[in-house]
Amino acid sequence: MSASEITIARPASRRLARSKDRMERLMFLVPAGVYLVALTIFPFVYSVYLSLHQAKLTKLHRMRFIGFDNYAELFTDSLFLDACRNIAVLTVASITVEILIGFFAAKVFFSLRETRIGAVLRSASIMPMMITPICIGLIFSYIFNPNLGIANFLLGEIGISPLGWFSDPSLALATVILINSWQWTPFMMLLMLAGLMSIPAEQYEAAEIEGAKWYHIAAWIEIPAIRGIVLVGIILRVIDNLRLFDIVYVTTRGGPGSSTEIVTFFAYKQDFQYFQVGYGSAAAVVILFASVIITAITVKYLRSAEDD
Amino acid sequence: MTRRTRSAILPLIGALAITLIFVAPMLWMFLASFKTVSGIFSIPPQWVPDFTYTDNYVTMLKDDWPYLLNSVIVTVGATVLCVVLALPAAFGLTNFRFTGRNFLADWILSTRMMPPIAAGVPLYMVFNGFGMLDSIWALILVYAGFNIPFAVWVAMSFFRRVPRELIEAAQLEGCSWTQTFLKVALPVSKSGIATVATFVFIFAWNELLMALFLTTRAAKTFPVVISSYVTTGNTFWELVAAASVIQAIPPIVFTLIMQRHIVSGLTMGAVKD
Repeated sequence: MSASEITIARPASRRLARSKDRMERLMFLVPAGVYLVALTIFPFVYSVYLSLHQAKLTKLHRMRFIGFDNYAELFTDSLFLDACRNIAVLTVASITVEILIGFFAAKVFFSLRETRIGAVLRSASIMPMMITPICIGLIFSYIFNPNLGIANFLLGEIGISPLGWFSDPSLALATVILINSWQWTPFMMLLMLAGLMSIPAEQYEAAEIEGAKWYHIAAWIEIPAIRGIVLVGIILRVIDNLRLFDIVYVTTRGGPGSSTEIVTFFAYKQDFQYFQVGYGSAAAVVILFASVIITAITVKYLRSAEDD
Repeated sequence: MTRRTRSAILPLIGALAITLIFVAPMLWMFLASFKTVSGIFSIPPQWVPDFTYTDNYVTMLKDDWPYLLNSVIVTVGATVLCVVLALPAAFGLTNFRFTGRNFLADWILSTRMMPPIAAGVPLYMVFNGFGMLDSIWALILVYAGFNIPFAVWVAMSFFRRVPRELIEAAQLEGCSWTQTFLKVALPVSKSGIATVATFVFIFAWNELLMALFLTTRAAKTFPVVISSYVTTGNTFWELVAAASVIQAIPPIVFTLIMQRHIVSGLTMGAVKD
């Protein structure tokens, strides 16, 4: 809106009208802003404050300032370091799987884009990503039940001895990664499908005339066309993986040993099982900082995407 | 067989395989909900259960329906509150010119990226102070707050699509901003509003962590109850199965209705549909 148009709309008693207009406009923004400060900003800031104290949830009035001791302790706590390593492995592995299978699935549904059956199958296969994560966790702990689960039964049918999906320390994290990427591959697929749909048909035709093979098309037409969209997807998935909790909470609870320990679950345990809220908050603040850094990149990226 | 039919059959096989991978696990849990406790884990597996056997649903709902009701109230309440707060803010951020507008928008977006775990203890302390632990009101307030950033961003992406001329015409005819918002912007953005509301609904419906922090008994939500069927000694699979099916109904229904908007919704408008 340019200034001249505002002037036309504005009545004669300019100053009064201006302040009234300003009040009115403020009322659009203030409620949400105040609400956000109270319910999200304040808690995050308070978490940082707590993390600098030795504090027990049951004796909060006896808080003691200890500076960065909680952080110093965190980075010598082998359980926390395992949690950091696990979440890094989980994030990278899940997203890689999601992109690879997602791309294959997107290609498949892209070639069926004008068929009714393609639309029906696509609708069916995107259901996992919106389903309650704890239900997803439970579905797989049912399927991967060590003695009586369907997965080990089917493996047995083809002559493979049963796997300890959740109980084998060297396999448990892979199982969590499998569940996580199962749930989110459809998201990557939809993103890439949207990207493929945006490629002008002439580009494909031209490639075909030139005699390009499928891998030429993938490398020179498709991957460049979906790169931006996939980057947005990756950023969002990184942030969501950092806060992963529900699946681990209902399946492995961090075990066996520390093989599936992740940072959110670590913080949750410190806070509500051992009541060490200062220490738990410090762990939460570490996730917070990791997210803030990624967010800074995201915001910059989303803003430039939106200016296009 | 022509080259054309053959090139349609391979993708079809691929699509069927993909669909099987993503649907079969959910279907397996669905089937389990109609099996007896022994049928759930029988070897060889019971492939087709007796669908008239609904005891699992009856047992589960008889004890735990109040928590299902909690979930519905919390989710609907949070969705309404969130949308009511977010829409005016999004309208303001798209239509008002003021210094710090981009900063405000970015700041709102950045709160979406904050991990909820970092807010858990402070919110626990605040609600404890107000005597609001184990209250569905506390959950409504929290879920609405956590989803405002998302709602504002998605709402901004569709308010931006409202033709400028429409807003300017309303202003020229002497509409206040409130009137422009209510009578011009909202009516033309109905499908966008529905998208935002649906996503907020699903996010609130699926939430577990904050509910674990803030509820103990009376205000427990359905996800908390479902997770409590898994105990250290034993998992009540018949209850898990029946409850999971019910818990999954709203997300599945909404996914089917909203699928055209899922991409733009989950990327907060960064990817257009």
